[in-house]
Amino acid sequence: MMPAGLNRLLLTVGGAVVAIVLALAISSVAILAAGADPVAAFGAFFDFGSTSTSVVSGIATVINRAVPLFIAGLAVAVGFRMNLFNIGVEGQYRIAAICAAYVGATFTAPAPIQIAVIIVVAAAVGGLYALIPALMKVGRGVNEVIATIMLNYIAINLSAFLLRGPFQGPRPEGQLTVTTADIPESGWFPNFNFLFTMFGLPAPRGAGLWGFLGVAIVLGIVLWVVLERTRFGFDVKASGLNSIAALASGVRPKKMVISAMVLSGAIAGLIGLPEILGRTHNFGTSFTAGLGFLGIAVALLGRNKPVGIAVAALLFGFLDRAQGPLQFADVPPSVIMIMQGTIVLLVVIANEITSRMALRQEERRAARQLATTNRVEVTA
Amino acid sequence: MSSDTLAPAKPAVELEGITKRFPGVVANHDIRITIEAGTVHAICGENGAGKSTLMKILYGMQKPDEGQIRVNGQDVSFRTPSDAIAAGIGMVHQHFMLADNLTVLENIVLGAEPTTAGFLDAAGARRRIRELAEAHGLRVDPDRLVEDLGVGDRQRVEILKVLYRGARILILDEPTAVLVPQEVDELFENLRELKAEGLTVLFISHKLDEVLSIADEITVIRRGTTVATVPRSQVGSARELAEMMVGSELPTPETRESTVTDTVELRVEGLTMEAEGFRPLPRGADLREFLHGKRLLLDDVSFQIRKGEIVGIAGVEGNGQSELIEAIMGMRQAHGRITLGAEDISAWTTLRRREAGIGYIPEDRHRQGLLLEASLWENRVLGHQTRKPARKGIWIDRKASKADTERIVKDYDVRTPSVETLALALSGGNQQKLIVGREMSGEPSFLIAAHPTRGVDVGAQAAIWDHLRRARAAGLAVLLISADLDELIGLSDTVQVIFRGRLVAELDPADITPEQLGGYMTGAITEEGS
Amino acid sequence: MEGVDLLSKRFGRIAVGTVAGAMLMAAAACGGGGNTSAGNSAAPSTGAASEPAKASGLKVGLAFDVGGRGDKSFNDAAYAGLEQAQKELGAEIKDLSPAGDGSNRGELLRQLAEAGYNPIIGVGFAYGEDIKKAAQEYPDIEFAVVDSASNAPNVTGLLFAEEQGSYLAGVAAALKSKAGHVGFVGGVENDLIKKFEAGFSAGVKATKPDTKVDVKYLTPDGDFSGFKAPDKGKIAAEKMYQDGADIVYQAAGDSGTGVFQAAAAAKKQAIGVDSDQRLTVKEADLQAVIMTSMIKRVDVGVFQFIKAFQGGAKGGKNDVYDLKVDGVGLSTTGGEIDDIKEQVDAAKKKIVDGEITVPSKP
Repeated sequence: MMPAGLNRLLLTVGGAVVAIVLALAISSVAILAAGADPVAAFGAFFDFGSTSTSVVSGIATVINRAVPLFIAGLAVAVGFRMNLFNIGVEGQYRIAAICAAYVGATFTAPAPIQIAVIIVVAAAVGGLYALIPALMKVGRGVNEVIATIMLNYIAINLSAFLLRGPFQGPRPEGQLTVTTADIPESGWFPNFNFLFTMFGLPAPRGAGLWGFLGVAIVLGIVLWVVLERTRFGFDVKASGLNSIAALASGVRPKKMVISAMVLSGAIAGLIGLPEILGRTHNFGTSFTAGLGFLGIAVALLGRNKPVGIAVAALLFGFLDRAQGPLQFADVPPSVIMIMQGTIVLLVVIANEITSRMALRQEERRAARQLATTNRVEVTA
Repeated sequence: MSSDTLAPAKPAVELEGITKRFPGVVANHDIRITIEAGTVHAICGENGAGKSTLMKILYGMQKPDEGQIRVNGQDVSFRTPSDAIAAGIGMVHQHFMLADNLTVLENIVLGAEPTTAGFLDAAGARRRIRELAEAHGLRVDPDRLVEDLGVGDRQRVEILKVLYRGARILILDEPTAVLVPQEVDELFENLRELKAEGLTVLFISHKLDEVLSIADEITVIRRGTTVATVPRSQVGSARELAEMMVGSELPTPETRESTVTDTVELRVEGLTMEAEGFRPLPRGADLREFLHGKRLLLDDVSFQIRKGEIVGIAGVEGNGQSELIEAIMGMRQAHGRITLGAEDISAWTTLRRREAGIGYIPEDRHRQGLLLEASLWENRVLGHQTRKPARKGIWIDRKASKADTERIVKDYDVRTPSVETLALALSGGNQQKLIVGREMSGEPSFLIAAHPTRGVDVGAQAAIWDHLRRARAAGLAVLLISADLDELIGLSDTVQVIFRGRLVAELDPADITPEQLGGYMTGAITEEGS
Repeated sequence: MEGVDLLSKRFGRIAVGTVAGAMLMAAAACGGGGNTSAGNSAAPSTGAASEPAKASGLKVGLAFDVGGRGDKSFNDAAYAGLEQAQKELGAEIKDLSPAGDGSNRGELLRQLAEAGYNPIIGVGFAYGEDIKKAAQEYPDIEFAVVDSASNAPNVTGLLFAEEQGSYLAGVAAALKSKAGHVGFVGGVENDLIKKFEAGFSAGVKATKPDTKVDVKYLTPDGDFSGFKAPDKGKIAAEKMYQDGADIVYQAAGDSGTGVFQAAAAAKKQAIGVDSDQRLTVKEADLQAVIMTSMIKRVDVGVFQFIKAFQGGAKGGKNDVYDLKVDGVGLSTTGGEIDDIKEQVDAAKKKIVDGEITVPSKP
């Protein structure tokens, strides 16, 4: 029934819009309280500079930020769909990133092979690291939240150790930051600047539009297909909606926990690659941390659906880009955090309300269409 | 009868026309009960009859859609349990809500701490608890840790907790479920003392002999509504009460042709399940010795079902029925052997058992049978992910699944706007018809039907019965579990009675008497029948 | 209804759980950023940019590292140099702080460049790589990076002779120590902090050869958490005081607070670093233990760079701020080392004159 689906979609989008408008209002109060001008602040979010190069660079920055957030959101969402809270995405992607960067720098092969190997290593390491909490949960009933939080600490410290120890690359005299050795040029993911230049626009500054965008899009589509169309996806959905019914229907909960966690971890393993393959070409002390935690917010905002997560990641990327312009406009950049926080909170509330409304409506619609149903029934 | 029949005229609690609807079902319908002050009033009914909803309404946990509650003659409307507590109503839950590592005193005052200038007034609290304990004969040391207490003592703490908050009307929800017989006697002694002090006790139970030994008045609830309220003196026996609970008279089984064949489809041998969780039997060990002294949920259960036969399991709920089903479905491990057709399936996974031809209508369709927030066709796929028409390689065949759901909707008269409708939008009866249709569509050779018509309307009930009969005629072996004795006797070819995890009698429904059945079910008759 | 109920309960749980998670995320991922911004909003940053440039359209941009302004030390010193340029050279100034995860350092440099700022200064060695890339993209703009060497023709490295200042700290410590036992707490065991240790030890040994020097680094090279772990700093210093040291020199960033706390608790003394910490530390009891501080004049470096830029200087070289130009030195607030001024000045003179060459590696 298309109308029912459409109705649900409209409600969801409407709820999100109302939530974001409310979040803007709350943020305005916070901005005023910080002694700055809300109008200037909101202007800064849309201030992409005056030259076409700076506009294009700004757009590239938004997308470059959104790509890892999108992957992080997907990783978290796979667990969420089964009511598994993989808080360990943070640790999984860091350990995977350093291993992939290290392996990628140890050999040189034709570009497609070099890049494929790096991606496979990252996914494998992330998946294996996520296997640990999965086995702990299945075997000993250890709550995955606690296990993954602990494993985050281990992963963060372990990757710091590997970086300054066995995986440390050469560093020039006087440089204090530490990195792994650079990945040879065949492992650099070609940028997607042609997306701008083909329209006669200038190429963005810096490393340009990271080509990993393409991998992320493919990943999103594949994941959607897997979750929505395959038997595995059905088992995930069933386990998430009603684990007891899933058990009674023959789904093996242990197997599902393990496969969902490993899948989540494998996706998490890719989070660091856009940056490594697109810009830094190594894993170093200034590697971007915290994306795993942000992925939780992005997944929440996107309702665990690939399209929603993409929108949420772009929104976060858009807000994060304003770090500089806000400071130019003399607005404290913590406004970004306030806005992200309130948006997530309010959208979650809005989702709750709209999904209840949608269910109510569905019930009423069904009841209306079946007005002849015998009403005298007794509960189970 | 108790001595205080001359108590003041105002009843402690009056419920008038209480009705509570949930979408698609009515949990309580026109409940009318008058509870006199200073009495023990029992409310009994089968599980699912609506007792718990009624108690939640009385304790302010849910609001009735219609009807009026009066406490001591005053109209009241509870929004939360605090309102109920303020009106002098206290609830002792079936599962104790005590903090183990706090003392009795701390547990009792928790949430109602007496303070003197902001400090906990422990001495005052201790004095009050002592007074209450002495006045009501509830012996407990206030300074002991709850974790050191036995079950009976913990229950006394729960009662004290409620009294401490000033309750004059106590609701006890299945209070004897966790007690051993001596503790039950002590509890009843306490309740009599409370009654003598002028308190009113609402005693909820389905253990009929206990009800008879403590209650002054008994209200029977059946299918969400009050059947009758009778003084204890007018009830002769537990059987009379049982008849009221399940229907005033047990029907004579319909005469019909037997379709029972000689081929055994399902054979269960020595099925035994520990309460503590499954432990594999060490090699060479003797099972009886291995399990010696353990509490057993299933104790050496053996039976067989032939093609075209319906075997009914009768028993008061909680005597091992759920465990039996879960063991056969492979959802819980147990000792013993299960054979389907010619194959030993004891070690198979749930999925493999289903694929081999076991269908399953679960006892609680919301918990075990449906994805409420998924569409009907997705619910059709549930349990059939690996089989046609739902399966197409690694994919779910959406088109074929939808088409087959359309078929079920038509054949089983599922009233729904479409197969895309979410399962939760359907009424209970239509949900159940969908489940029956789904479980039949795998062409099962053996079907477990647990309470197949619980909570469905009369029309749907008849339809589901018809489907079961037809499948039986086609050679299906059915294990039927039901609290509805009409259904059990009307459908079964053989009735097995389960009591405390054991099959205690095998009866022929053709010449069954309610007395016999009730006797076996309540454990009054213990020798092997027929 | 049971269904809906069930549903809402579960949704509720997810919502609560995940919202809590999101909050956690916010706190964890952006702890640094939060501090930064708090510092920013409190400081009068408005005055900085809006004041019209008095002179020749000199526009100076400065980018901090994570946890930048408001540290009462290193970063604030850089900002002081920037403000000085605003006052004395009539420069229009702008300072930016990166996001909490430091993911946009390069982006900030580019945004400053796009907005027409020239020169642009990156504060902290973390800017090394980003400055190099930005410098290649904007060859017409002059860059400077504090604590990191020049790595492009239009990049000036602003380096400091920390070992020389630390040598004087060592001289002072040796002279003032009654126990003949002093200590050194380094934040991270990298080449930069080793310079502090080398100078300090050399100073101590040159003054009183039998003085014992305890050395402790909080974290190994590459793990920068040693700069923001006051708890670790405290434990390390406590150990030294217990073992008999009576003066501990810290080069540990925020972790130095822990060293001061340990000194206050043990009623012993400590030596601060980077700025005159007897002035910048807020707590009076901690101020009292700071005998002197090894001042690193980042403000001088920043100001001198801007001034030189105005004068037409180009990059591709390192400017080293040493004792000769008073780029490093000891603070005298509190007057605790007034009595040994003579000896300290003598040591300084020897270094300036080249009589003593202070080692930069321990």
